[in-house]
Amino acid sequence: MHLLRIALASLANRRFTALLTVFAIALSVCLLLAVERVRTEARASFANTISGTDLIVGARSGSVNLLLYSVFRIGNATNNIRWDSFEHVAEHRQVKWAIPISLGDSHRGYRVMGTSPAYFEHYRYARSQPLNIEQGRAFADDPFEVVLGAEVAQALHYQLGEKLVLAHGVATISLVKHDDKPFTVVGILERTGTPVDRTLHISLAGMEALHVDWQNGMPARGAGVVSAEQARTMHLQPKAITAVLLGLNSKIATFSLQREINDFRGEPLLAILPGVALQELWSLMSTAEQALFVVSLFVVLTGLIGMLTAILTSLNERRREMAILRSVGARPWHIACLLILEAFALALAGVLLGLVLLYLGIAGAQGHVQANYGLYLPLAMPTRYEWTLLGAILAAALLMGCVPAWRAYRQSLADGLSIRL
Amino acid sequence: MSQALIELANLGFAWPGQAQLLDIPSFTLQRGESLFLKGPSGSGKTTLLGLLGGVQTPNRGSIRLLDQELSALSASARDRFRVDHTGYIFQQFNLLPFLSVRDNVELPCHFSKSRAQRAIQRHGSIDQAAASLLAHLGLNEPTLLERRADELSIGQQQRVAAARALIGQPELVIADEPTSALDFDAREAFLQLLFAECREAGASLLFVSHDQSLAPLFDRSLSLAELNRAARPQEI
Repeated sequence: MHLLRIALASLANRRFTALLTVFAIALSVCLLLAVERVRTEARASFANTISGTDLIVGARSGSVNLLLYSVFRIGNATNNIRWDSFEHVAEHRQVKWAIPISLGDSHRGYRVMGTSPAYFEHYRYARSQPLNIEQGRAFADDPFEVVLGAEVAQALHYQLGEKLVLAHGVATISLVKHDDKPFTVVGILERTGTPVDRTLHISLAGMEALHVDWQNGMPARGAGVVSAEQARTMHLQPKAITAVLLGLNSKIATFSLQREINDFRGEPLLAILPGVALQELWSLMSTAEQALFVVSLFVVLTGLIGMLTAILTSLNERRREMAILRSVGARPWHIACLLILEAFALALAGVLLGLVLLYLGIAGAQGHVQANYGLYLPLAMPTRYEWTLLGAILAAALLMGCVPAWRAYRQSLADGLSIRL
Repeated sequence: MSQALIELANLGFAWPGQAQLLDIPSFTLQRGESLFLKGPSGSGKTTLLGLLGGVQTPNRGSIRLLDQELSALSASARDRFRVDHTGYIFQQFNLLPFLSVRDNVELPCHFSKSRAQRAIQRHGSIDQAAASLLAHLGLNEPTLLERRADELSIGQQQRVAAARALIGQPELVIADEPTSALDFDAREAFLQLLFAECREAGASLLFVSHDQSLAPLFDRSLSLAELNRAARPQEI
C-alpha cells in the first residue's frame, strides 16, 4: 500500500506531465469507445430497419439493389412489376399479407412512396414494432392525402392539413412538379429511426392520379390534361408497382415461395429474404467500420506510448528519488513495482476520465445524432465487450510499465545508494 | 557476540577495468562508538559506504556487520539486512520532496519489519516515534509534520533525515557529509543532536567528511588514506 502512496505522491509532484498523459489516454479511450458505440448502434439500427417481412419481391436485379430501393429508399428500381403479377403473388395461399410499394416521386429530397393501407397495418421495424400514427390518421379514400414520416414533418415544419406539391423523379431539384395536384397532410408517423421517417406515404391511387394523364414520361398538355377533380372521379387502378413486401403464414414456406417467385413465368421477378440481404449489405460496409475501429485502437496505442515516453524521460531526473528509496530499504523490485504502479495509475485515471468524457459526449450529442443520423446512442453502462476493451488497455499499460520498470531496476542496481549529479 | 559492529578484514575492491581502489587490511567500528572518517572526494569513500551497505560486493576479503558476513547473503537479503540495521544520512536532498515530513521519517519502517517493531515497542506507534524523534531534534512544531519536505530549510531537512536514519533504532548510522550544506554554527548544533540521539538509541555513528574541523567532537578519528593501502597521493 505504501508503494502505491509513494507512486501517487510522486505522480502528483509531476502533475503537469501526468495530467497531460492522463488526458491523452482519456481522449483515446473516449474515441475508441465512441467508435465502438456508434458501430454497435449503427449495426443494430441497420438490422432494425425492417422486421416481420418475410420476402421482398421486385423486378429481377440484385438483392442488395432491391433492398436499397425498397427499404432504404436509395437508388432506383430498374424495372416495375405488373399489377397482375402482384395480384398473383398476393393471392398465393402461403401469403398472409402483401404490401405493394410504388416509388419514383419525391418532395424536396424526400422520397414519396405509394402504398396500400396494409402498410400501416403490417409493416414492422426493430423488434416487431408497428408504425404508429402520432397525429392524424392514415390516408383514406381521397387519393390526394399524404402521411409524413417524422423527420419529413420535423425538417420541413409541416402540420396536419397543410398542402404540399410532389415532384416527379427523385432528384432534390426537380424540374417537373405535380403542381396541379396538391396533397393534404392527414397524418404524421411516430419516429422510428428508420428510413420510414424520411418518407412521404401516399395511396397507390394517389400515385396513379399523379401520372394518369402522362404520356411517354411527360406531362400531358392542352386537352389531354386531367385535373385533380377529374382524377378523383376516375378508377385509379395502378398498372404497375415497384416492389412488394410479403408476410407469410409460415416461415417454413419462405424458401419454397422464394423459389416459386424467382421461377415465375409471367415476368422476371426476384424475391429476397430481408435478413440475408441486410447481412450482405452490412458486410459491404463493415470494412469501413472495421478500419475505423482499427484506427481508434492505434490512437489508444499512441496514447499509451505517450505515457511510456513520459515515464521514461522522467527516469533520469528521478535517479535521486530512486537512490533515496534504496537507502531507506527499498529493494530494486520495489523500484520496479513503483514504476509499474505509476503506469497503471496513469492508465486507470485515463480510462476513468475517458469514460467520463464519453458519457458527457453522449449526453451532449445524443439529440443531435438522433435527429441527423437516426442513431440512438444510449447512456448505458459499458457492455461486457467494452469492459474487455478497457481491461485490455489497462493490461497493455501494465505491460508497457515493465519497460521503465526494467530500466529503473537496472539503474537502481547500478546507482546503489548514491548518485553523482 | 563480539563488541565490534563493523569488521573489515583484508578488503579489496576495484571497479571493473580500473585500478585497485580500496585495499583495507583491517578496520573495526565498536558498538556505540562514534567515528570520524576523513575522506576527500575520489578517495573511495562512496565506494566504501556502498560496500558497507551491501550494494557492492568486495573482490576479496570480508565485511562483517553485526557478526554477519555480508557476502554470504543474497543481494535481496543484503538489502533487507541493510535497512534493518543501518540508517543513512546524505549530503543534502536526502528527502523525497513530494512526501510529508512524517512520511519521509517513517519510510524505513515500511521497508523493515524489525525497525517498525522497535519503533512501536519504544514509542507506542510509528507516528509517535517519528514525532518524538523530530521533537528531540528540535522540530517540534505540530504543523511541520504534515508539510512537504521541500518546504523546509536545508538545516531542518537534515534533521528530518537524521530522524529518518534513527527511527526504529538501527545499530549503525552512516552519515556521508551531512553537514556540508550547513553553516558552521548549525553544523555543531546538528552534530550535538545527532550524538545525543545515537547515544540514546545505542547506535554507532560512522561519519564521513572531508571537514577535519569536526573531528575533535568524535570518540575516534581516522583518515581513509591511513586505512587504505591503495590510496595514492596523486588521487587525493
